[in-house]
Amino acid sequence: MKKLLNDPYKYVDEMLVGMCAAHPEIYRQAGEGGRVITRAGSQRQGKVGIVSGGGSGHLPVFTGYVGPGLLDACAIGDVFASPSVEQMSEAMKVAHAGAGVLRLYGNYGGDVMNFDMAGEQLEMEDDIQSTTVLLADDVSSAPLEEAEKRRGVAGMVYAFKIAGAAAEQMLSLGEVTRIAQETADSCRSVGAALTPCTIPQAGKATFEIAEDEMEMGMGIHGEPGVWRDKLKPADDIAHEMVDRLIADRAIGSVDRLSVMVNSLGATPPEELYILYRIVKKRIEDLGATIVMPLVGRYATSMEMSGVSMTFCFLNPEREALLQAPARCAFWQVG
Amino acid sequence: MKVLWLQDQLPKLAEHLESSSEELNGLDAKLGDGDLGVTMVRGSRQLMEIREELPDDWGMALLKCAQAFTKTSGSSYGTILATGLMAMAKQKKGQAEIDPSEWADLLKVALEAMQKRGKAELGQKTVLDPLSAIQKKLESNHNSSLSDLIEVVQQTIDDFRDKPCQIGRARIFQEKSIGLDDPGMVALKRLLEGLSHL
Repeated sequence: MKKLLNDPYKYVDEMLVGMCAAHPEIYRQAGEGGRVITRAGSQRQGKVGIVSGGGSGHLPVFTGYVGPGLLDACAIGDVFASPSVEQMSEAMKVAHAGAGVLRLYGNYGGDVMNFDMAGEQLEMEDDIQSTTVLLADDVSSAPLEEAEKRRGVAGMVYAFKIAGAAAEQMLSLGEVTRIAQETADSCRSVGAALTPCTIPQAGKATFEIAEDEMEMGMGIHGEPGVWRDKLKPADDIAHEMVDRLIADRAIGSVDRLSVMVNSLGATPPEELYILYRIVKKRIEDLGATIVMPLVGRYATSMEMSGVSMTFCFLNPEREALLQAPARCAFWQVG
Repeated sequence: MKVLWLQDQLPKLAEHLESSSEELNGLDAKLGDGDLGVTMVRGSRQLMEIREELPDDWGMALLKCAQAFTKTSGSSYGTILATGLMAMAKQKKGQAEIDPSEWADLLKVALEAMQKRGKAELGQKTVLDPLSAIQKKLESNHNSSLSDLIEVVQQTIDDFRDKPCQIGRARIFQEKSIGLDDPGMVALKRLLEGLSHL
């Protein structure tokens, strides 16, 4: 393992301290153990709070997306480990400003269990109303007939952005939840990994893969994908990823969609742009329109090298919300 | 019975869980991350901490008990246990009395909530199996004694010993789990042993 770290057990806590110190105008730590990140400013009364959460190791997901027009608070666990019920409750309490809270996060068993529990406790103890929308956009993690079992990956960035903008317009909890759910339903993602990453506390790679191999469809924690074989040329990989996404949801000539070509951590932007030319051509050849393409590091697995591709299908409502102003340390719109 | 009953039971319960900690850690280490004893001890220490402040309302008291586990541990066993307590808490909100005849129904509600949250079914070798056995026992006889219930749990542990665990982390070790007592079932037995009467 080759990492910049001190005590592996303090990895996340030290990271959070540094992140808030670097961007004091955006982030602030909250909660008993500091495992909640919330906006630096005070909550706007009457605005729906949006919370997310999950394991560390995916920056900018989750904590990075706290900011105006995005999330209100995040509960953050150890690397690739669920936050506790307590931390999730703390995040929801911080995010609540009188209009209820939407829990918006990825479909992972431990996270769902703890977030549901936290919601139940808050409803009983503090009478805070809350809803849940899960991201399940990874098409390789389960077939279309079992789409509700899919894992949530980079599609959540679109959900954070679009639901965040809806909340900022002071829409009700019901409306923000509807828009978040429709956004989640409109996202499709696929990933491919070239090298693994190392969880600091475990000290070894999350999986093994030969120097000349890649794995198509692999999850962001190294969950098994659909095939593993010799590394292919970039264009072939781009074509296959587009094929897999189109097979899951066809693209028509009237469609308007945003496209994300995302680095899983170590893959440089140079390589993402090589892939993007193919994606753009394929979508335009179908007569569809790309709106606000995102190419860069939006959802990572620390130093894993690899890429994910997400299509977010838009309607006029989602398109306007996607382009509304938002700001965090990693991303600015408008 | 009133919340006072629970307050009276807690010291002995906490003591019994402390002394069972290593055993539970050991059982868990064979199939999981080996922290089940720690989960139970942290939860019971927290319960001792809040013992004096438990409200008279069973709903709020059971909520506090659930939180004793969720506050101190991120383990899924703690969350599942807390889920059962929360389900009972909702049933008893605003009530200061539990009649012994209510336990069967309360456990039924708890069991349903735990199954739903854990996405588990009966027969998969989890804490749900002995809980369901206890629930059935209480349903058939509201006056079952504590030792009757402990015997039912032991019987379930024995019945499942040679079956594979089919859910959770231990599922990865399905074959390995054959012949081993399920740590979650044993923890339930230790919980009941820590009580002195119903």
